[in-house]
Amino acid sequence: MRRPLRDPVLLPAVLLVWAAVALFVLYPLVRLLILTFWNEGPSLDAVTGLVRDWTNRSALINSLALAVLVGGAGTALGFAFALLTVRANLPGWARRAIDAVVLLPLISPPFTAAIALIFALGPRGLISYHVFGLTKVNIYGLWGTLLSETLTYFPVAYLTLKAVIANIDPNLEDSAFSLGARRWRVFRTVTLPLATPGVANAFLLVSAASLADFATPLILAGTKFPVLPTQAFLQITGLYDMRGGAALCFLLLVPALAIFIGQRQWIERRGGSFVTVTGKVGATTRVKSLSPAAVVALGLVCGLVVTLVLICYLLIAAASLVRGLGADNTLSFAHYAHVFSGGLKAVRDTLIIAVLCMPIGGLFAVVLGFLVARTQFPGRRALEFAAMMNYALPGTIVGIAYLLAFNDPPLALTGTAFILVVCYVFRYSLAGTRATTAVLAQIDPAIEEASASLGARRDVTFRRVVLPLVRPALLAGMTVLFIRAMTAISATIFLVSLDWSLVTVRILEGITNLELGQASAFSMLVIALVYLAVAVASFAMRRLNAGSLGQAGTLLGG
Amino acid sequence: MTTTGTRLQIDHVSKRFSRVGQSTLAAVDDVSLVVEPGELLTLLGPSGCGKTTTLRMVAGFEQPDDGRIYIGDQDVTELMVYRRGIGFVFQNYALFPHLTVFENVAYGLKVRRVPGRDVDRRVSQVLELVGLPGYERRFPNQLSGGEQQRVAVARAVVVEPRLLLFDEPLSNLDAKLRVQMRAELSRLQKQLAITTVYVTHDQDEAMAISDRIAVMRQGRIAQIGTAEELYRAPRSEFVAQFIGRVNLVEGRVLDVTGGRMTVALWGGSVTVAAEPGCAPGTRLSLILRPESLTLVPETTKAGATDVLVLGTVRSRTFLGEKVEYTVEVAGALLHVVTYDPAHRGVVDVGARVGVTCSAAAARPLTSS
Repeated sequence: MRRPLRDPVLLPAVLLVWAAVALFVLYPLVRLLILTFWNEGPSLDAVTGLVRDWTNRSALINSLALAVLVGGAGTALGFAFALLTVRANLPGWARRAIDAVVLLPLISPPFTAAIALIFALGPRGLISYHVFGLTKVNIYGLWGTLLSETLTYFPVAYLTLKAVIANIDPNLEDSAFSLGARRWRVFRTVTLPLATPGVANAFLLVSAASLADFATPLILAGTKFPVLPTQAFLQITGLYDMRGGAALCFLLLVPALAIFIGQRQWIERRGGSFVTVTGKVGATTRVKSLSPAAVVALGLVCGLVVTLVLICYLLIAAASLVRGLGADNTLSFAHYAHVFSGGLKAVRDTLIIAVLCMPIGGLFAVVLGFLVARTQFPGRRALEFAAMMNYALPGTIVGIAYLLAFNDPPLALTGTAFILVVCYVFRYSLAGTRATTAVLAQIDPAIEEASASLGARRDVTFRRVVLPLVRPALLAGMTVLFIRAMTAISATIFLVSLDWSLVTVRILEGITNLELGQASAFSMLVIALVYLAVAVASFAMRRLNAGSLGQAGTLLGG
Repeated sequence: MTTTGTRLQIDHVSKRFSRVGQSTLAAVDDVSLVVEPGELLTLLGPSGCGKTTTLRMVAGFEQPDDGRIYIGDQDVTELMVYRRGIGFVFQNYALFPHLTVFENVAYGLKVRRVPGRDVDRRVSQVLELVGLPGYERRFPNQLSGGEQQRVAVARAVVVEPRLLLFDEPLSNLDAKLRVQMRAELSRLQKQLAITTVYVTHDQDEAMAISDRIAVMRQGRIAQIGTAEELYRAPRSEFVAQFIGRVNLVEGRVLDVTGGRMTVALWGGSVTVAAEPGCAPGTRLSLILRPESLTLVPETTKAGATDVLVLGTVRSRTFLGEKVEYTVEVAGALLHVVTYDPAHRGVVDVGARVGVTCSAAAARPLTSS
């Protein structure tokens, strides 16, 4: 429509969303940039000062190198898993088991893999010392961080690539077979090229996750392998150097934004991928593109990774149930007793905030998704981009920017539950927004026009037609918000207070105080709560999808 | 349930779409027409002719760049869709997938805050009307295409709209069902007497269902009239070709007297109504419909009221109740249709034949 803002409902909705995004996304970032580049006048002091320092210079290089390595390793592993689950004709239980294990790192609190690796491969590690008797294994530094981040983030690549490979039209491969190509050739000339955009996308997603990762390097990187997020954190909490912290954030912001924009461009230029979802489920042939030898090889690699992940989590579980894993292996519930006494406040606070996030963030996600996908107004693309900024940027940047923006009157909000909820809503609603646009893409716009033609205003149409139809997306969005609110630390560590604490912060305290048993008990609790939430959401999702609605995609995709 | 029809007037309406990196495209270019109360007018044309855009502007889904649209006495050009009091039937029905048949049909009534008891009554009435009583609790995905179509119609008419708009409503149905549904739609529209605009690209459908047809081409109305008028007196080659099949044969005016003119054709001549501006010597196109032509043995002589030409049969399509031929005549191809082949026999490809045409069946292509 040419004059859309005549719509009496659209205009206020757009203004409201813009105002929220301006205040909680753009304003903090502007404050961050001002502090970095304004010292009684425009100045590059803060940045040049950093670059002169060895630690900060190598932090930049290390962060980028680590992101590339984790991106490569994570994507390769994800591709192997995706091929195995989609193409190897595994029995249903095996696929479900793989999915369940792979889900673990995605929904765990951030330090889990790192602690587990210390238990397994540390100086007195269960595998390195007790099984193999090695004493010179050094888990701290690049290799430990790389291993831990790869184990943590390869599921992102797996979920992305699984969808990509599953959506490749089997007829294309079949026609290559019919033209006389053999398996390897079909894979090389048809399957792989078709999956390439998805592979590139997965690489960028995993790299971005590694670049932003704050928790793993904090535990495993050590002093000889500094990276940007932890340096920024230490600059502020250790040295109380806000300007230095802001400048480090800027160094981190540039590559993070570059990856984000690159990924968006890539997706848009390729129209998402070559894969088109026609919605026609024809006679899908049994795909036979993997040779038995390839299946065995993939099975070995994936089996090893699954075993490693399982060992990690078993170690955490064990550590939470004994006095001191490796030193005093007598059964004890002392750690859990602590969680449910001294730690109870953090658990309660986290749950309250996570539950508050769900309806607020869910509604925000759906409204934003609807505005972006189904309406026309000036600045629509800009709004879409701005709303994604907090998601795309590393949490450390967002946290420090919030600290700068909301620490002083009139907006002295740090330490309140409000700012924690706001932070999560603007950081983690994107999954819901994407799910909403995905669902809307499957719904003919004529359905909304039909509502309008029957006399319904835009808000009535939204409430009575759009909202019920995007229920699966709303549910997915709310579940992701809950999971993230239960497990996030990088942004909110700057915003917690005595009044409002978080379980993840207690886990970090446990680790820094060398009370790993306590940290493990907290982690187990979070994992249990999140698994419960996922189970409930999956059940509800099946009920919703069993109706007449389109799929909302994977719960955790994006 | 009866609705007194409302008049629709479209007054010099234009709509341009801007294309990326190119000039704008006039999808609808200065279209004016009036649909009388209770009338069913069809917008007919090939894809991209602007018929759907015109319909969507009447509905209010698109805003015209120029011109006004009136429903009754009200200027609705600036009015939002939901205030126009229309019923719209979409090509793919656009039933709400999350609502039952009852809820779908009741939707417009509930939006209008009609009391619950009246909603129940009117929904069952209209479901009765479209032949779906007892379907209230089903979901759209449990219905066949034809049933979905009926629900879509029921949903549109139950609110007693001032105007009923159809956007290619039958194009998703199979051929047999299409014929059946168009008869039902026609009956329903007559019964309810709601002023209706119907968009289609199917000329059979347009001719079967319409009171009048507006043939559109490149954003403009090429010709408007009843099916018979358009068929008998097309004013352009485009309309002649679009409404039925046609042979356009060039002839030369021999003589003009008293409102009639004689035109030379195939070595004979035909007498047709005189065209303004035609003088002896003017060349013009004559319309010969395939069914007006007859195949005769090669040796036949032209009768007093016939013209005759010799040619060779180049192709033959047997369609049961009729046979379609193309006959090559002096380098040009003529379409000829003969009926009742079982009785009259068929002619083989390659045969030399005569083609006759009754002089009374020829019409000049009027240019005015």
